[in-house]
Formats: sequence, structure tokens, C-alpha cells
Amino acid sequence: MTSCEVFRRLLGAAVDGELQGDDATAFDAHAAGCIACRRLLEEERALARELERALPRPQAPAGLRERMTALLEEAPLPPRAARARTWWAAAAAAVVLLAVALQLARSPARSGPPSGLATAAADAHLRFLSGQLPLEVGSSSGEEVTRWFQGRVPFHLTLPDYPVGPGERKFYRLLGGRLVNVGGDYGAFVAYRLDDERPISLLVTSVGQQRPSGGEVTSFGNLTFHQQSVNGLKVITWSDNGLSYALASDLTVQGARSCMVCHGSPEERRRIEGFTEPTPPGPI
Amino acid sequence: MGADVERSEREFRQAALSCLDGLYRFALTLARDRVVAEDLVQETYARALAARHKAAPDEKLRSWLFVILHNVWRNERRRQRPLAPPDEVDRLPAREDVAAALDRRTAGERLQQAIDGLPAPFRQVLALRYVEELSYKEIADVLDCPAGTVMSRLARARVMLREALRPLTLVPRPREVVR
Repeated sequence: MTSCEVFRRLLGAAVDGELQGDDATAFDAHAAGCIACRRLLEEERALARELERALPRPQAPAGLRERMTALLEEAPLPPRAARARTWWAAAAAAVVLLAVALQLARSPARSGPPSGLATAAADAHLRFLSGQLPLEVGSSSGEEVTRWFQGRVPFHLTLPDYPVGPGERKFYRLLGGRLVNVGGDYGAFVAYRLDDERPISLLVTSVGQQRPSGGEVTSFGNLTFHQQSVNGLKVITWSDNGLSYALASDLTVQGARSCMVCHGSPEERRRIEGFTEPTPPGPI
Repeated sequence: MGADVERSEREFRQAALSCLDGLYRFALTLARDRVVAEDLVQETYARALAARHKAAPDEKLRSWLFVILHNVWRNERRRQRPLAPPDEVDRLPAREDVAAALDRRTAGERLQQAIDGLPAPFRQVLALRYVEELSYKEIADVLDCPAGTVMSRLARARVMLREALRPLTLVPRPREVVR
């Protein structure tokens, strides 16, 4: 038989429908035989009903609903669990493509936690996509965006802006850039869209601010690339000439296409022996 | 992309959107500021979209979104006020403080006012239980605490509310005690 003390301890859980099995049976039995406890139970139920009535139930403002509807509808297609296996296959293929096309000499792979640089790049990419990081300079001209960053970031950054020859197709377009806070100092955030509208972004800092590390390591010439997954995004980080770079993209963007941002010019493709034209992203 | 995946993607987005009111309400409970609440909700959806390959099954999607929202809020608070105590659970208001805030309003309004006067952890469990109708286990997951803590906070919240709502004339203030 449940004592009055035990009954009162279980009172709230019983009113909230959280008691089960023997506890519930013993509780009900005690309530049936103890007038004082039954009265307490009634009071507790009455308070629960009052709480349900009294607690505010505001609805989301219309503006927020519109924005969230747009965010959900316009977000790029995802690496859902149902196709995670397919994505990893595609990612593996992309890595192979990189290795073959760019003649990458892979060092022994080692993995580690995402670096601060990779995390900052993924965070900035997501915040940009959700509208929280509006661009401060909007232009498809690398020269113009480069000019805008001059004097605003504590390093010199030159964005590539290759001409497209007759019959050539540009694989991406520059949207613009903005400043972001990376470890207490300014970094350059540059947004692109690939020709299939998938977003890709580049975060640039000085090596003194952030250094690439962690993830799967791949070497090409003097450069070392770190590829890692952060918050569902693919982030490739590397450093070159005193600057650290982080390229963040939706997971369905193939690695070789990410590289087209900087290495998409006909000269670049000719210069890098064996570079093959990437196939458009297939159904992933 | 296969039709099944497309359908599942569509369903995920619809199910996530159907949680909007609840998420906004919980964000308001946490932040007590409409602008901040909207930012919290927006960040929650952005993170949910990015991590939806890890999304909980449909029936648990709602509490999964609440978990994300609470994490966003906690991280934001940590970033802005690193020295602030995470919870004010031990700084309970004296009964007189709550009672003094209650004037001659209707019972419902007085109850609302009493709820508003509770420390944040108690308001949070009340809202998650009696408005969002989450189970103790789900609330524990959202708030990242043991289910026993949820139970005890709810019990203490009810005691405080009952105390606050008791007719003032029945409880003499300390200075009115006849020696």
C-alpha cells in the first residue's frame, strides 16, 4: 500500500500522466482509500487545468512564418539519412576525381576535430543561407569585390576573375562578400553560386588568425588540404602565401566543382596536366 | 533524386514548419523578447536544415527541434554573458515577492502573473509540459537534465504557484504576526 508521503511525491507525475504500471495501480488504490489524498489529487488536477488555460499560447508572427517557409522551401537539397550512403559514395568519387585529375599525392589520412577555421566557415555559410549574414558588397566582379576588401581586412586578398572564352561556360558566379568576425578579427566572406544555383562560400583569414587543421588530409604540390564535415557541410581548408582559406558548400557539391571556383579558367585547366572537365552533379 | 526521397524531403519540411508556433512560444519563454525569439527560431531552422540527415524520426522531430532551439539559446547566452549563472533555479522568489505582484485581477490573470514571476527554469518546464505537452523524458532531453529534475521542478513550480495564489489574507505577512 502506498503511503500518503509516497502518494504526494507521485502526485504531479500522476496528474501529468507519467505514472505507469505498478506505480499507477498503487497510486490509484491509495487515492480510492484516502479522502485527504484524493482531495489533494483533485486540487492538483484543477491547478493543471488552470495552468493549461493560463499559460500564453502566442502564434508565430506572419513575417516569421513567411521567412521560415521561404527558408525551408529554398534550402538546397540535403544529405538526408536516406541518401547519406549515396552522398558518401559521391564524396568518395569526388575525392578520387580530385586525386586523379589534379594528380594529388595523398598523405596518410588522419582525422581530427574540425578546426576553428572550418567551424567558422560552416557557421558563416549557414548564417548567410539563412539570411543572417547579408552581403555588404554585391557584385559579380572579382576585381570590384577585391577592391572592397582592401583596407577592411588585415591582409591582402585577390579574388580570381577569369575571362570566359567563346564556347566556354562559367561554372560559378560571384555574388559578393562581407566581413565576418573570425576569432576576434576580421575575415573575408565571399559568396558564390554554382551554375546549378548551389551555394558555395569562401572564408579567408590570415594564417596568423586561423590555421587549417584536422579532417582528412590531402597534399598537392606545396599545398595541404584538410577536408572535413561540419554541421552537415563539406569544408575544405588550406593555407597559401600567408592566407588561410576555407571553402564551405552543401554536401552534394562535388569536390572538383568546388575547385572550379579558383581553378576554372581555361589556362588553369591546361596548366594542370590531366585535369578533366567535371561532369555536372548527378542525382544524389 | 528518387520520388521517395523527394517525398520524404517534402514531408520533413512540412513537419518542421508545423512546429513553428511551438518553437516561437518556447523561444519567447526563453528570451522574453520577440526579436530575440524570432532570431532563435530562424537559427534553429537553419541548423535543423543543415543537420537534417541526423533528424529524428518524424514523431520525434518536434522535440528534436526544441533541443536545437534550447542549444542555440544556451550557446548564445554563454557567448554573451559567460559569467552569468546558467539557471536561476536556486534563487527562488519569496512568496511575498510573487504575491505582492498580484493585484485584484481575475484568477487567470493572477495565475499568468504568478507564472511570469517564476525563475526561468520553472517557467520553461511549465511551458514545455502544459503548452507544448512534451513528456518528462522529452523535456529532459530538451533541457539536457535528468527526468527527475523535470519532475521536481514541476512539483516546485506548482507549490510556488499555489502559494502565490492563496488568498493573501490567510497568510499574514511577517510584520503582522501577533506575538
